[in-house]
Amino acid sequence: MEVKILSAKFKLKNANKITVAKKHGAYATLGKLFAMKPEDVIEEVKKSGLRGRGGAGFPAGVKWGFLPKNTGKPIYLAVNSDESEPATFKDRYILVKDPHMLIEGIIICSYAIGSHETYIYIRGEYTTQVRVLQAAIDEAYAAGYLGDSVAGHDFKLNVTVHRGAGAYVCGEETALLESIEGKKGQPRSKPPFPAVAGLYGCPTIINNVQSIASLPFIIDKGADAYKVYGTEKSPGTHLFGISGHVEKPGMYELPLGLPILEVIDKVAGGVWKGRKLKGIIPGGSSTPVLLPEEAQDVTLDYESMAAHKTMFGSGGIVVLDETVDIVALVKNLIDFYHHESCGQCTPCREGLGWMLKIIKKILRREGSMDDVLLLRELCDNIEMKTVCVLSAACTMPVRSYLDKFRHEFEAYVQDASASAQVKQE
Amino acid sequence: MADTIKLFVNGVEVEVETGKNLIDAIGAVGIEIPHLCYHPALGADGNCRMCLVGIEDGRPPLVPACKTPAQAGMKVLLDAAHIKKIQRDVMELELINHPTDCPICDQAGECKLQDYYMTYGRPESRMTVPQVQKSKKLDFGCGVVHDQERCVTCGRCVRFCREITKTGELGIINRTDDARVNIFPGRPINNRYALNVVDLCPVGAMTSKDFRFKQRVWFLKKAPGICHGCAKGCNITIEHNREKYQDDIIYRFRPRLNRQVNGYFMCDAGRLSYRQENEGRLLAARLGSQIRPLEDVLAACTREIEQAGKIAILLSPNCSLEQMVAVKALAAKLQASLSGFSTGYIKEGDGDGLLIEDDKAANRAGLALLGIDCSRESFEKAVRDAQLLINFNNDLTRTYSDSELKKLLKDTKVIIAATHDDRLSAMADIAIPVATSSEYAGSLINCHNILQTFAGAVSRNHKPANIGEIAAKLGSPLQSRAEQFAELRKYLSVLKDFEADTVPAEGLKLNESEAANVTA
Repeated sequence: MEVKILSAKFKLKNANKITVAKKHGAYATLGKLFAMKPEDVIEEVKKSGLRGRGGAGFPAGVKWGFLPKNTGKPIYLAVNSDESEPATFKDRYILVKDPHMLIEGIIICSYAIGSHETYIYIRGEYTTQVRVLQAAIDEAYAAGYLGDSVAGHDFKLNVTVHRGAGAYVCGEETALLESIEGKKGQPRSKPPFPAVAGLYGCPTIINNVQSIASLPFIIDKGADAYKVYGTEKSPGTHLFGISGHVEKPGMYELPLGLPILEVIDKVAGGVWKGRKLKGIIPGGSSTPVLLPEEAQDVTLDYESMAAHKTMFGSGGIVVLDETVDIVALVKNLIDFYHHESCGQCTPCREGLGWMLKIIKKILRREGSMDDVLLLRELCDNIEMKTVCVLSAACTMPVRSYLDKFRHEFEAYVQDASASAQVKQE
Repeated sequence: MADTIKLFVNGVEVEVETGKNLIDAIGAVGIEIPHLCYHPALGADGNCRMCLVGIEDGRPPLVPACKTPAQAGMKVLLDAAHIKKIQRDVMELELINHPTDCPICDQAGECKLQDYYMTYGRPESRMTVPQVQKSKKLDFGCGVVHDQERCVTCGRCVRFCREITKTGELGIINRTDDARVNIFPGRPINNRYALNVVDLCPVGAMTSKDFRFKQRVWFLKKAPGICHGCAKGCNITIEHNREKYQDDIIYRFRPRLNRQVNGYFMCDAGRLSYRQENEGRLLAARLGSQIRPLEDVLAACTREIEQAGKIAILLSPNCSLEQMVAVKALAAKLQASLSGFSTGYIKEGDGDGLLIEDDKAANRAGLALLGIDCSRESFEKAVRDAQLLINFNNDLTRTYSDSELKKLLKDTKVIIAATHDDRLSAMADIAIPVATSSEYAGSLINCHNILQTFAGAVSRNHKPANIGEIAAKLGSPLQSRAEQFAELRKYLSVLKDFEADTVPAEGLKLNESEAANVTA
């Protein structure tokens, strides 16, 4: 099932070094690239159907088309390498194993959109990654792939690595821009969208590491070669991080559209210790959970996930076995999103804290059914009332656990009322 | 009138001005969209989420009104069930960690949270878990005391210090429900407009050390006034109250919106100048050091005037235009010299281009308009020649040292019409208590040649007279404010269609020829 498009060089020793990477084809597309017109590059990417790999799945070529023409302002490219969604561990492989693929992708994207300045926003916790990436960038400058004349062509490109300070919300594209600008990482109201007014008020394209890293293959082999993989609406391959209660957790490159249960069984070795499957988090902690029976006909692509009222997300699949305490899981989940709320909008700032206290109360077996219902209602009251979707990233999965595993919450509050009764007697 | 467009609010067509966001555009026709973080002077931030409104057929269907420009044909939903629910839900979330200490909160009675709770809230609290606890009393400097628990982190104060004063002392630190407004350690607020953050705060989080716990706001009577602290003439609200058996006391000045003068704000010095209206007042007429009834003292003045060969009259640059014409007429009648010498009121280099002006006199332009000589030479010559100086509240101690003053006045008797009992009135032979600017009605011309009128707000127990009345009693032919105002029309053609009480609230911009008279 596994394919080697993005991960082709991952197993190679020292593929992060430019000499090794070049031997295996790195920067080979540039000759072809600069022979193309930028609009043809955009057209090819549109044709490939490449969708943003950050989680939202917005078609990359279409996004580039939103850039206004001839504004007289510089166009920026920001590469989102904040990868902070729990259960997501794909971009880190690209950064460490094959950073030159990313740099080549940056050259392709920059040429297509007419940008000469790229910022790679990398999460602060990625210390190894930032070191390896920076070394690769230095090599690329030295080899003439970055700088005033990219590979000898009349195209200037500078790449700057910007380290985050450890905020999940800075993976939200406008918070990321604020952070690069040196401000507190808080999402901006949209509109205006970054393509119109982004970094320093200039037109800006923000793409995920994996989206950018997919470009060399698309330009080299062509859109049709890319579309061989995946489904019609979700073409290509994806780096899936499979974790949780499986025998062989890890990062696997797979074409989109495979049945999720088959992937868990055949690629990740199935639920560990012979236990039963309780649920699947399909694409990072913010995606609504799938029950085993729901997962029967779910395939790993954007459409199938949406049809099952969840999301493809970041490809971070978490497998939950029968021993998982869902109430404790939900507490863990709310704890994370509460901690990471930037504190800007009232519903998220106040609401997630309230939800956390309620779930803790339930977990202490001090809650009542009213608390469970309130928690459920708060999901609706908070969601989509805020500038960004961080609050929804918490409420959507929490709602799914409350709806699909209601009996576990009820058990906790029944225990509570029973022990209260004992005390009274 | 600006261009207008038509849009729909709850299905009803309304005509609004173009170029405004939904809150302002719809607010101007009397339909309120609740909001906490938006303030017209600070722009939209969009963090409170109280102003979310529905847009029928819109993409997205739910928008923050503060960030959404009013557009023709827009179908705005305000009273749809789902919008009302959002307002109630956001209100609930604003309140869950709010201490609800309204009984001891200065803001109670003028608090947006209270108002919105009544309009959009739900009656019962569902908060059964402990609230977030934060600091209750942080001294931010410049008389600003902050209560973090009451704060809704709307960031108005932060934006004021960044965008208006450009001093940036405040910030919101921490994330999530631990977010709180604070200063940087050891770096308190340090600007001359700091107390505006107290007005801007929609809740009771920012309090004024000066006003804290002094009065419940619903007891305060509010009257419009003009600040006399400098030549800017900021529009203010005079907030005063007469407690049982007590005098009518001013508790605070607050800025009042006038777009062509001061906008929404005023400086701290002007704001705190209300204290001078309350304190150190000259409460009774004095002959020498003896307190006498006003009638007796005025009779004594008349005798002094009759006996004096030459009389010099001095006006304060803070006097109203009405007072100035009355005194000018008196000077003509008595064939006295008239001066407005007051260079001591000017603090060179103190102005900041924002609201504070170098000239600490409220109506120097009035002196120029009436052609009153303000030179030092002619004033000093007039005093030396005269046997009697009648000083209408010009604070000469601003211009002269005590010894200089004693030397200047050694051969001259002095009658002073004074608001305050100070060194100057102590030096006078006769002192008559007069009203301060919060106690009479009048008009002023500010440094931008805008004529503004104000009405008396406060009535003090000692019933100080208006300088215009004193001038009239001493012989000025202009006996009433109406007569004084009629006299003013001779100088100001812009007044031809107005009476003293019909001058528009935003003031009258003098036309060019009149402005030229003023600056000449």
